[in-house]
Amino acid sequence: MFKFFSSSNIYPLIQKLIKFINSIFFLILIIGLTFALVLSPPDYLQGDAVRIMYVHVPSAWIGLACFSVITLLSVFNFIFKIKNFYFINKSIAPIGLLFTCLAIVTGSLWGQPTWGTWWAWDARLTSMLALMLFYIFYILTFKLLNNEGLIIKVSSIIAIIGSINLPIIKYSVEWWTTLHQPASIKITGSSSIHPQMMLPLMVMLLVFLLYAALIFLMKYKTEIIRIKKKNIKRN
Amino acid sequence: MILNLITMNGYGLYVWLSFSVVFISCVIVYFKTKKTLKKYEQEFLTELQTLTLVEKNKALESSKVAQAILATSSKVN
Repeated sequence: MFKFFSSSNIYPLIQKLIKFINSIFFLILIIGLTFALVLSPPDYLQGDAVRIMYVHVPSAWIGLACFSVITLLSVFNFIFKIKNFYFINKSIAPIGLLFTCLAIVTGSLWGQPTWGTWWAWDARLTSMLALMLFYIFYILTFKLLNNEGLIIKVSSIIAIIGSINLPIIKYSVEWWTTLHQPASIKITGSSSIHPQMMLPLMVMLLVFLLYAALIFLMKYKTEIIRIKKKNIKRN
Repeated sequence: MILNLITMNGYGLYVWLSFSVVFISCVIVYFKTKKTLKKYEQEFLTELQTLTLVEKNKALESSKVAQAILATSSKVN
């Protein structure tokens, strides 16, 4: 089964996926922006400031999802010793960092008109900041260390320690009194968000996911070429 | 309506700034990633050119990735 993950099998698939995403991305982006900025109604309490949600929430979700994937693949790499997972993680980490930073910045821009402050050291905001730091440490291991074996060990340890922060982020709004509102969208149970806002949010999430997938594929393709370049003379 | 879209009932600065920050960051990361990818593809092809014909054929036969990169660059060129 793991032979499927070999670069020779994956490379043609990556090229096809990049082409496919490029062909549909702008259409979905325009639909998403039209919904988010024009068609979706203002909130009865927050007014038009609620539109920041359409970039803030998908950014935060992707930031969290990327770290979850990194943790999972780090554990798998420990058990199964599949080097490809290391390259996948290396390609995902910058995307996770980007979206975590965007979630913090857009959250700050949303906080000023709704809470009256750019920043507060409350549980949700602080745990998101901690996630950003974990991403920075994780990426630094690739930049600062030279030994590949050591990089895998150190980065996996950072990922596993950092994963403790993930449930803290998720449940911080329930465990502590925070400025941040509790979750409006639940996988299990009913969501408190109106369908007229849910639809733009889902379209914008799709836009962000497609963008993240595109960057991941390009970075992973770069990694494959880098390895093949190293090996070319050995063959 | 257009004025309303720009001002967002007084929240325009925050809304447009949020969307702009996201858009600009994403565009920068996209072009930076694309540039790095092109650089590595070019370096790979340069490396391939330094090989002898026999080595080159051997490398191409054994690597689907090398074939794909060469095919892509042929299309571009």
